[in-house]
Amino acid sequence: MKLVIGGFAQGKLDYVLEQIKHEDYMVLDGKLGCGEALSGKQVIVDHLHRLIRECLESGIDPEEKIFDFVEKHPGCILISDEIGNGIVPVDGFEREYRERTGRLLIKLAASAQEVVRVICGIGQKIK
Amino acid sequence: MMILVVGGSGSGKSAYAEECISRIAEGRQKYYIATMRIFDDETRVKVEKHRRSRNGKGFITIEQPVSVGSVLKKIKGGTALIECISNLTANEMFGDEEPQPYEAVTEKIISDIKKLDSELEALVVVTNNVFEDGIIYDKATMEYMKALGNINRKLAAMADKVVETAAGNPVVIKETN
Repeated sequence: MKLVIGGFAQGKLDYVLEQIKHEDYMVLDGKLGCGEALSGKQVIVDHLHRLIRECLESGIDPEEKIFDFVEKHPGCILISDEIGNGIVPVDGFEREYRERTGRLLIKLAASAQEVVRVICGIGQKIK
Repeated sequence: MMILVVGGSGSGKSAYAEECISRIAEGRQKYYIATMRIFDDETRVKVEKHRRSRNGKGFITIEQPVSVGSVLKKIKGGTALIECISNLTANEMFGDEEPQPYEAVTEKIISDIKKLDSELEALVVVTNNVFEDGIIYDKATMEYMKALGNINRKLAAMADKVVETAAGNPVVIKETN
């Protein structure tokens, strides 16, 4: 599994698509399935932070869900916004979302083969 | 030759950009294109403070809050530091009664910077990293962030060198020879 992180509107998906140019791929936008078979395809999950948020909103554990998915698709590429570099939110749910997302990204990064940070469309390999 | 400097607020991007342009100007005239629009006492004080801090460093300052490409005639063949794209983007986007769509703002600014880049000996462009707090703002602000994000990406693709400043340290993230 590969993890790609970076700020809003920094060109993370474009960066990933450029890297995998010649492969048969499938982009899952903020979800972990699409009703189609994923086997044999390069699976890309975009906006992972949105999926985490939706899980928390409906009381589902995002960690279990995402790690189960990674186990089934060990070659997948996960893309998430960096959301932690701001002021601590006043709202309790927003605080939880930010904290849980950060912690989950740390765990994913620890088990990823490669971690890339994208800024201004440029990818920097940080692991 | 174009260098893009990106960083968060207080990361030392201005100081690095000034040092950078001074190093590569090699005796050619240095212009400072200031994009902040003065509209109240706070912005006036800020601009004054910035002007004083550049005093004695050999810059000719040009105040240009929109349409930076229009200063080209005055500065052709020289070198310039433009600061900063986040102000310029806000000015271009919210200058009229109706905000401009992000695609139009992106195109306008990129075409202006391309003009400058092609006729200057060296150009240093300073921009801001405002994209990592995860907050979903109002529609106009999200539109602004989309414009600035796109502009930054295009500038980075054009630039010969891209440097990110963190706690005053320049980190080179792109360099072409």
